[in-house]
Amino acid sequence: MSFDKLLDLVNSYGSLLLNGLLTSFYLTVSSYLIGFTLGVLISIARTYGPRLVKALCQAFVELTRGTPMLVQLFLIYYVLPRVGLTLDPLPAAIIAIGLNSAAYQSEYLRASMSSISYSQWEAALSIGLTKLQAVREVILPQSIRIAIPTLANELIYLFKYSSIAYFITVSELIYISKFIGSRTFLYVEVYSIIAVIYIAFSIAATEVFKFIERKIAIPGLRISTRL
Amino acid sequence: MNDFLTYIPIILMGVWNTLILSTVSFLLATLLGLLMAFIEVFSPKPVSTIVDWVTRVLRGIPLLLALLLVFYGLPRAGVALPNIASAIIGITIVDSGYQAQLFRGAIEGVGGRQLEAAYSIGLSKWGAFRYVIVPQAFRAALPGWLNEFTIVLKDSSIAYAIGVTELFTQAVHVAQVILDYLQPLILVSIVYFSMCYPLSIVSERARRKLLAMGVAAV
Amino acid sequence: MRIVLEVSNLWKFFGKNPVLRGVSFSIREGETKVILGPSGAGKSTLLRCINLLIKPDRGSIVLDGEEVTAPGVNVAKVRSKIGFVFQHFNLFNHLTALENVMLGLIKVKGMNKSDAFKVARESLLSVGISEDLWSKYPAQLSGGQQQRVAIARAIAMSPRLVLFDEPTSALDPELIWEVLGVMEKLSKEGMTMIVVTHELGFAMKVADEVIFMDSGAVVESGPPEEVILRPKNERVRRFMERMQYVYSLK
Repeated sequence: MSFDKLLDLVNSYGSLLLNGLLTSFYLTVSSYLIGFTLGVLISIARTYGPRLVKALCQAFVELTRGTPMLVQLFLIYYVLPRVGLTLDPLPAAIIAIGLNSAAYQSEYLRASMSSISYSQWEAALSIGLTKLQAVREVILPQSIRIAIPTLANELIYLFKYSSIAYFITVSELIYISKFIGSRTFLYVEVYSIIAVIYIAFSIAATEVFKFIERKIAIPGLRISTRL
Repeated sequence: MNDFLTYIPIILMGVWNTLILSTVSFLLATLLGLLMAFIEVFSPKPVSTIVDWVTRVLRGIPLLLALLLVFYGLPRAGVALPNIASAIIGITIVDSGYQAQLFRGAIEGVGGRQLEAAYSIGLSKWGAFRYVIVPQAFRAALPGWLNEFTIVLKDSSIAYAIGVTELFTQAVHVAQVILDYLQPLILVSIVYFSMCYPLSIVSERARRKLLAMGVAAV
Repeated sequence: MRIVLEVSNLWKFFGKNPVLRGVSFSIREGETKVILGPSGAGKSTLLRCINLLIKPDRGSIVLDGEEVTAPGVNVAKVRSKIGFVFQHFNLFNHLTALENVMLGLIKVKGMNKSDAFKVARESLLSVGISEDLWSKYPAQLSGGQQQRVAIARAIAMSPRLVLFDEPTSALDPELIWEVLGVMEKLSKEGMTMIVVTHELGFAMKVADEVIFMDSGAVVESGPPEEVILRPKNERVRRFMERMQYVYSLK
């Protein structure tokens, strides 16, 4: 593997790779947002909801966490058309990865919710807040703060795992690389280049999140980092 | 439906490879991870920083990419291995990064006060490791370690990308033949779930029990 | 003076265990009643029944003529009329002292920010929390300061009565005086208060009536000089003797 070849690759296919990277970002952020929103709803439903809702949510979470993301991806892309919902690869990937992330994020949030002592709940109710208000104004803000390190990790994790969209022909970074590889036969070179990209992103993102965590920490309250 | 029933055994043949792939990679990754974790915690600054960065690099690569790199890279280096071996190498490398982080957290969770106490009764550095730190670190790491195994089990499906005939690959191949993805996918979902769910229950119980005992379970 | 709260024949079971056994009493506007008794007597449970955090199994609670234990009652609304001060302060960790007091005003009473600020300001100053502490988070305040903010949070809602559940039990001995001082001031200003505490000195000084509870029932009640210094009931007498050993009060 020579340096010249690498440079050549970057020159000729740089813009293509950039497109792939942008697609990966888009995929990651979209699924993460779906995961977060749904995750919050599910965690609240599982902690405070009626029994039937709790059970359904639990079933969803356990099934999703107990099966590979690939299986879920293929189910959404290849099986949903049978009930009339045919999706393009990218939306299918966003939904599948988003649902998967929701299952995990709901668990992180649920854990942090239950770590908030019952007395915060009592205090909230005692000044006359309704249950809904108590959750929104007191429990949720604290839960999210506590879960931030894990939720931040989830984003970085998703960036790596979004690569499975490759399997349903989404033009994310690895898929593009394979294409370039098939054209130039310089598979190892291209893969090495994007490996560096992934690693650089992971490390940089981790540092950024550590910084943000420090900045928004509730003064005086020390949060333990790993759940 | 009848059509599918005849294919079930074909799909289930993949379980064997899934188990081999997962178990071998996982155990190798455990050894590597333990090694890196110990070096990181008990070595002087320069060495431990290097190891820390190594684990960060390992954790920064998507598994799919690692598999592809190994698959295409080994032949270039003149090594010809069966696909499953490449997959084992790929999974081991990536997972060892996560396991190193897991064990490091567990070891650090045991805490300096334990070390102090160990020294104060006259144990040597090595004795302190062996009799005080390691047993407690293992206990603390157990739930996370079991959880990590379920992750490897599920991620083994990605080996589909390099043609390893594990469970998921078999399902997809059958689906392409009978032109139905639903049944094969449901079947393998059941298999994966029945392997992963019990493990996650055990891991959760272990974690709760350890926390109740005051152990800083990771 | 009007009766603010009337508790009649309250019963509460935890499983088969009767924690409250037919408790009855009433309190008028401006009165301060202190509830004494050993641990496990049901005092905390009683308070939590009054502000409907716990649902009694039998009996009724009437606040300002309205039966709040009846079905279909807007529970949150009732709670906004009753102040509660907890043993462990229970300030909202993610909010500053000022925000802690303002939350109820804005979200429950629907005030706008500037009105809420004015009311919160008054409450905080009246419990002796100066402006430099308003932007501090609970974890940055001492126990005594936290509890006084908690009191401010309760009284800012202009409650009909305030319940205190062992407000000084979790405080360093040195800080107890600042909280008791605030409570005494509130009582003198005419606040209707029910206080569960072990502070006999406070009871002697401030209470209009002392209620002694044991094993879920009211054993004796009356003016503090009688119940504490010259109790009629044997059980109460033993308790007071032991307490006075601790407090050297005679």
